[in-house]
Amino acid sequence: MVVVAAPALRSDRGWPETLLLFCGKKPLGAAGGFIMLVIVFTAIFANVLQTHDPIATNAAATLAPPSAAHWLGTDHLGRDIYSRILHGARVSLLVGLGSTLVASLLGGIIGLLSGYVGGKTDLVVQRVMDILQGLPLLVLALVMAAALGPSIPNVILAISIPIMPRAARVIRSSVLSIREFQYIEAARALGLTHLRIAFRHILPNTIGPFIVLGTAQLGSAILTEAALSFLGLGVPEPYPSWGRMLSVSAAEYAQKAPWLVLFPGIAISLAVFGSNLLGDALRDTLDPRLRGA
Amino acid sequence: MKTYLAQRLGIAALTLFGMSLVIFVLLRLAPGDIVDILFSTGGYVNPSERVAIEKELGLDKPLWVQYVEWMRHMATGDLGKSYRYDLPAWEIIRPLLPVTIELATLSMIVAVLLGVPTGVISAVRQDSTLDYVLRVVSLAGLSMPSFWLGMVIILALVAWIGWIPPMTYVPASENLKLHMIQFALPALAVGYRSSALIMRITRSALLEVMREDYIRTARAKGQGERTVIWNHALKNAILPVVTVIGIEFAFLIGGLVVTETVFNLPGIARFLVQAILWRDYPIVQTLVMFIAMVVIISNLAVDMLYGVLDPRVRYGS
Amino acid sequence: MTFFRVAAALWAAVGALALVASTPAAAQTPQPGGHLNVMLREELPQGFAVHETATVSTSFPSMPCFNNLVIFDQLKRTESLDTLVGELAEKWSWQDNYKNLVFFLRKDVKWHDGKPFTSKDVKFTFDMIREAPDTPAKLRINPRKDWYANVEAIETPDAYTVVFHLKRPQPSLLLMFASGYTPIYAAHVPPASYRTGCIGTGPFKLKEWRKGEFVDYVKNPDFFVKGRPYLDSLRYVIIENRGTRISALQAGKLDVSFPGETTKTIAEQLKKAVPQMVITTVGQSVSDNIIMNVKKPPFDNLKVRLAVSYAIDRRGLIQAVHQGGAVPGAALPPKPWGIWGISEQGLLALPGYGKPADEKAKARKVMAELGYTPEKPLKVEIGTRAIAVYVDMASFVINELKQVGIDATLKQVETAQWHPMATRGDYQIGANLTGLGIDDPDANFYENYACGSPRNYSQYCNEQVGKMIDQQSQELNPQKRLEMVFALQKKVEEEAPRPILDWRLDYFAHWPYVHNMVPQNNIYNFGRMQDVWRDK
Repeated sequence: MVVVAAPALRSDRGWPETLLLFCGKKPLGAAGGFIMLVIVFTAIFANVLQTHDPIATNAAATLAPPSAAHWLGTDHLGRDIYSRILHGARVSLLVGLGSTLVASLLGGIIGLLSGYVGGKTDLVVQRVMDILQGLPLLVLALVMAAALGPSIPNVILAISIPIMPRAARVIRSSVLSIREFQYIEAARALGLTHLRIAFRHILPNTIGPFIVLGTAQLGSAILTEAALSFLGLGVPEPYPSWGRMLSVSAAEYAQKAPWLVLFPGIAISLAVFGSNLLGDALRDTLDPRLRGA
Repeated sequence: MKTYLAQRLGIAALTLFGMSLVIFVLLRLAPGDIVDILFSTGGYVNPSERVAIEKELGLDKPLWVQYVEWMRHMATGDLGKSYRYDLPAWEIIRPLLPVTIELATLSMIVAVLLGVPTGVISAVRQDSTLDYVLRVVSLAGLSMPSFWLGMVIILALVAWIGWIPPMTYVPASENLKLHMIQFALPALAVGYRSSALIMRITRSALLEVMREDYIRTARAKGQGERTVIWNHALKNAILPVVTVIGIEFAFLIGGLVVTETVFNLPGIARFLVQAILWRDYPIVQTLVMFIAMVVIISNLAVDMLYGVLDPRVRYGS
Repeated sequence: MTFFRVAAALWAAVGALALVASTPAAAQTPQPGGHLNVMLREELPQGFAVHETATVSTSFPSMPCFNNLVIFDQLKRTESLDTLVGELAEKWSWQDNYKNLVFFLRKDVKWHDGKPFTSKDVKFTFDMIREAPDTPAKLRINPRKDWYANVEAIETPDAYTVVFHLKRPQPSLLLMFASGYTPIYAAHVPPASYRTGCIGTGPFKLKEWRKGEFVDYVKNPDFFVKGRPYLDSLRYVIIENRGTRISALQAGKLDVSFPGETTKTIAEQLKKAVPQMVITTVGQSVSDNIIMNVKKPPFDNLKVRLAVSYAIDRRGLIQAVHQGGAVPGAALPPKPWGIWGISEQGLLALPGYGKPADEKAKARKVMAELGYTPEKPLKVEIGTRAIAVYVDMASFVINELKQVGIDATLKQVETAQWHPMATRGDYQIGANLTGLGIDDPDANFYENYACGSPRNYSQYCNEQVGKMIDQQSQELNPQKRLEMVFALQKKVEEEAPRPILDWRLDYFAHWPYVHNMVPQNNIYNFGRMQDVWRDK
């Protein structure tokens, strides 16, 4: 699989124009981007948009169906689901973005260095990446989460480690293909240090695959967090995480109060859907020859 | 070819070895061990009893000694004794394997039956409304948490038909019809997710192939569209699809963890979660190594298949 | 005249019909045969090793396999000295002013592997549990060693007589033998074997334990009670997901619920879907409580502990967390769910049971005196097990404490960490759940309030209270003892190392075609299944 970094977007167009073109040519992508924007907005302004304190219990109104007082109903402790979903956006985005960033950064650096240096180092690093990738994402995340214990930083770490090899692999491929270009050779001839070449010339050309990878993995990260929380190993109380809102507690009352199960799940699906749509469109734009990967 | 195979097997062995180290260390990093859990079922803690149990289970030995002993035992086929159940690990895992294998296979079948045709249609009718709809539907499948999909399916069934699928495992020998119904729902839930990926790959692979020159040549020669697609395009597009199916099969196992939990199926994935919570090291280690082997073997098999199917690919120097 | 004769005849006929129709079908005779599916909440933690665990997930599915010396009548809902009946013991008597307890054993009992049951098995079991110096066997985990701390020696004058020699009088000991936690092990099998299988004397023989799925029992043809059990087989089905198992019960795939499983909400849902479902309200002998580490600040200060007790609205919690399916009470379950508990009237005198607004005002005042207000609160960490029901309780408590100037952050502790943490005193305040093996002051106070007891998580040690516990344990006059126990409960609530929040109720459910399945006010002591039968 050869990854070719497409030349940067035409520099004679301004950003607003590029954006509009993007929306026109890739309406699905634009829709995805819009969804992501809404979710990010919700996460940032959760405090303002909420109708109740997301962790306040209310004995009088447990398992209440959606109504004017509680737009999406209440859970078994009387907590307002709408407000919890708003704050859940924070947690899910934090964990999702956090782990994607950590994974991409770590993996990116590893891939960059490994691909550039080559030789034995590359081989060893590759094997280590293989080991980490040898297990399904959820299984490794599960063991890591159990090993580290329930807390937000630990969950981020637990999810980013299994994702990291993928980032490393993509960046490495990118580096391998660029490494042989003429202008790199020219730069070496001019006496630029390896490090300078790596960061100044190669890195910018990997931005494309990086962005594509990031948006693709974001969805994965959010889903993994949901699964971990569902199994009880993810984000702990009292943080309202979408995944944990779906956990055992909710399943208990699902028949009596389906809104407990429906809304958090819809929230998760929307977030992942949006990031996938956006990621797809970005990939199509930035790497037109990458459709098969 | 033979040298290549030998090389790959060698690397596979190395990878497995590395994985055993990773899992060994990770497990023992986890706070608490089986002794803590045993005490928690008793509702108290007693330091001298703790020492005795650690000795009995061999947990008092230094870590590297424990690791070497594990490796030694594995080499002789001894998978260890479950800390929780006091029985050989293999004896406990054996009845669970068929359930997971069956679920994984059925899910894969669903995924292929759903994914490939929709991918073909989508590619052939590229950018039409149907294409968009199919892409959105398949993307939705990738976006939904599979366990949530499972829960919603059960809720919907109860609400609309008033029928609940069997919630305790029904072996095929007991009641084939009920057994198939029981597996149909989780297979659909997991298969839908996997089908999304397969659909996307099929679509893009086919699109890529259809742009090739030999396709235009075939068309110019006057061959019908259907022949063009079937005889030329599909045959060449099948390669990346097969790759993805192979990779996805191993990936399925992750999804099975939550699905087996939601649908209450006694497979190894659900058991793995329990074993992790109980810090039952022998069971977790055995299961994880098993899963790793499955992944590695399926990757290897796919690569070999690649070599067979694509005459341009030749392995070995 | 004919008219009146005809009328009289008609009336007689109507009367006879009415009589026949109203005669309860309860004059039913038990029919032998049939199979039952019983609910299990989770996989058996350690198989059938009842003496190595302290959880209903072991005791309940093990009941059909074992017998005790004595047991609480399985056809009655309450548990007390009056409902005690013999199982392996035919007769028993206290001697020497409650210092010696003699059991005369049945002579016709066989273990499931055919070997005869004798007094040797009884001595073996209890010497093992109390860790007698010359015991031949050892338990790996021994949660109830302290129940028998008062036993000096166990004598077996002949094959069918056992004598327990006590160090001092202890009337409660007899009741401890009746608990589901006190089955008799066989002396001729290693105790560890109960972790994988079960050799008992009980009405059912273990057929198969398919890990994670079910436990199958078949009728014991050599059971010592002729004509029992009625049922041919039992299957305890393991369903970990609560929604799923309730659905299964509703759909008739399960016939009997699990003790403590059916909350008020679930019972209502069941009754609506299946109006003929039999729901019996009983106590569980399980309490929600707050443990506070009295050896560490800030809860070494009695005032702060009292503030916590004032702040928590017990009835509000019962509504919020249990939807009304619990009752307020002090250290022992209140009537009618228990014999020793302080009733509603008496509770009013204890901290935290007045009007919530008044109590919270009291708490705020106390905290203010110490320099804390809701704006400038005392920061603490409240620990609880990472299980839904504990977390819900803790969430409610956090909310209550917030209003009186205590800012508690929730720290979820994994099951494996909880007991080590609590026993070591590695916490400040925690939301806890306690199950009582039997409704008895000895079982409760020694375990939870005595100095140095491993289950005394609060690290509470008060000499005076210790003396009170010993005194009531030796008191032979029931009325006097009751008064002592009331005083003791009042005292510990006023010391507040472990304020009790509520006692849970169970709305035990089973289908109407199941008969003689009687739940008791304690989840650990019923379920022998010996007299249960079903319609065909």
